[in-house]
Amino acid sequence: MFKNLKVSFFLAWKSITRGNKGTLILTVMIMSLIFVNLIFLPSIISGIGESINQLSIDYLCANLIIEPKEDNFYINNVDSIQKKLNRLDGVVGTSSRYVTGATFTHKSKFVSGAIYSVNPTDEIVVTKFHTKLIDGEYLSKADTDEIIMGVELTGEEGVVGEQADLGGVTVGDKIEVTFSNGVIREYRLKGIYKTGPMGTDKFAFITKKEMESVLGLDNQASEILVKISQRGDEEEFRKKFMEIGISEDIKTWEDRMAGVVESMLSSFNLINLISAIISLVMAVVVMFIVIYINIVHKRKQIGILKAIGINQRAIIHSYVIQALVYCFSGIIVGSFLLLFLTSYMTANPLEFPMGAVTPLIESQLVIQSIISLIIVSLIAGFIPSWKTAREDILKAIWG
Amino acid sequence: MENGERGYTEGNLGLKMIQVQNLKRIYVMGKVEVHALKGVSFDIEKGEYVAIMGPSGSGKSTLLHQLGLLDIPTSGEIMIDGVDVLSLSDHEKTIYRLTRLGYVFQEYAILGELTALENVYLPLLMMGKRRKEYINTSIGILETVGLGHRLHHLQHELSGGEQQRVAIARALVNEPKILFADEPCANLDSDSSKQILELFRKLNNELGQTIVMVTHEDWHKEYADRTIWLKDGLIEK
Repeated sequence: MFKNLKVSFFLAWKSITRGNKGTLILTVMIMSLIFVNLIFLPSIISGIGESINQLSIDYLCANLIIEPKEDNFYINNVDSIQKKLNRLDGVVGTSSRYVTGATFTHKSKFVSGAIYSVNPTDEIVVTKFHTKLIDGEYLSKADTDEIIMGVELTGEEGVVGEQADLGGVTVGDKIEVTFSNGVIREYRLKGIYKTGPMGTDKFAFITKKEMESVLGLDNQASEILVKISQRGDEEEFRKKFMEIGISEDIKTWEDRMAGVVESMLSSFNLINLISAIISLVMAVVVMFIVIYINIVHKRKQIGILKAIGINQRAIIHSYVIQALVYCFSGIIVGSFLLLFLTSYMTANPLEFPMGAVTPLIESQLVIQSIISLIIVSLIAGFIPSWKTAREDILKAIWG
Repeated sequence: MENGERGYTEGNLGLKMIQVQNLKRIYVMGKVEVHALKGVSFDIEKGEYVAIMGPSGSGKSTLLHQLGLLDIPTSGEIMIDGVDVLSLSDHEKTIYRLTRLGYVFQEYAILGELTALENVYLPLLMMGKRRKEYINTSIGILETVGLGHRLHHLQHELSGGEQQRVAIARALVNEPKILFADEPCANLDSDSSKQILELFRKLNNELGQTIVMVTHEDWHKEYADRTIWLKDGLIEK
């Protein structure tokens, strides 16, 4: 066995180092591009998924969201809960919100939607709406007659057609808001924000103080958003929250978004799967052709090797080793190409509706791709060499 | 030359190296059967240098292929050094070729990606010899065939005669019981051919190497102890 391997490595190494350099470079390049193809497209799709996840955390539900228990409409004693939560190490901030339905009217245009109330000083620690203002300013704690709205609610001036928006209101315009309890108030539009595709641009925000006066509530909330310092520790914090006596419904952002990202990415994943299968088939075909041509070219040599007593297995293994060397060289070159592409795209991200997307290379995908290529190379190296090495010696030598 | 000057010495007489009995080889090509060997029987003794001659299509190369375990005869018996080689499995035949036989082909059948030295030590590497041993042995044998100065040259850097001498060195490196040579001078000019034949003669004389050589050149038989003449798949004389 050891003797066979020694001869196999010897023959493979000499064939690689003294064989046709052009074929070697071409094969390694093709393998490296297949490797890049196996990883790059999925990493863009993962990047999109990651971007959506981050948007969910930044604008929809933070890392954790606390909601009232099933039968309740509001969370009670919110101040006390927030204090408890804020004392925990790793909690960056909390923001309690009221959410209710409302109809927004400006001149003859009206739109129904959700209105949130926030304590601006708490909210800016937890979400990033304040960084996405395209006009005007964010709310201040003392504001009672001012409102900020998303761009999909305000609409854009000059856009003709049936739009579910206010037709292009601008900062300073007066917006009449009819709350779900029938209260009607008028607010000055203080700011307009644009966050992306998560549906949050249809929201409107007023201060918590103002909402409590509208709803006649105090020290309650529809939800409390919690931001933690380290993404990924959500489950651990959920347990901690329960340990300190939070009896409300605690959800991580993943619970809240369950299925949303997957369904958004399902079509992408199908494309991804097809692309991966095509890449692997390409890899098999390329390796098969390269090894096969190599073997056809060296058929006589295989015959000579057998004639002088070189073991058939040693001959087959030498071609399998060559295929593996092509494969690993392709993986190494492909890794550098990926590194270059990723660095470039991190510096110059792709612009998607959900914002800037950079490739996200997951280690599991890399391992999976490496294993797939190794298996493909083993098969493509083995079959043609096995077929030829089994031939009669004289047939191999004389054709 | 007298027998005493050759490898085929009095001391070796009577020791059968090859015994062939009623050897037949029929090739089936579509519906046609070609009887390449029609029942050949002969013995070759240890240390003997035998030339196999005959016109084209007489079955010379076919006979050598059967003796060298490169082909399987349709029927008959071949005993080499007392071993019924036809009863060996494929794997055993490979080991037998590696350890007991040496084969020189008509064309310069050396491996183009290996140097002269590597071509020669490959069988020893396969046999599991230590590096120092296989390098030294191979250098020694290459010096014997006059290529001590061409050790690290690749095939395309060697002349036809030099390539054939590399092939001979490779065939001899495992100290084979028998050296088979299938028209080893077919592609060489007469000077190179003489060098090869004199080398064979020297190996036979000095090492007692048993040699079976197929040739179609009449003057080659002068170098051999004995000539087996084939015609139409049978021994003519």
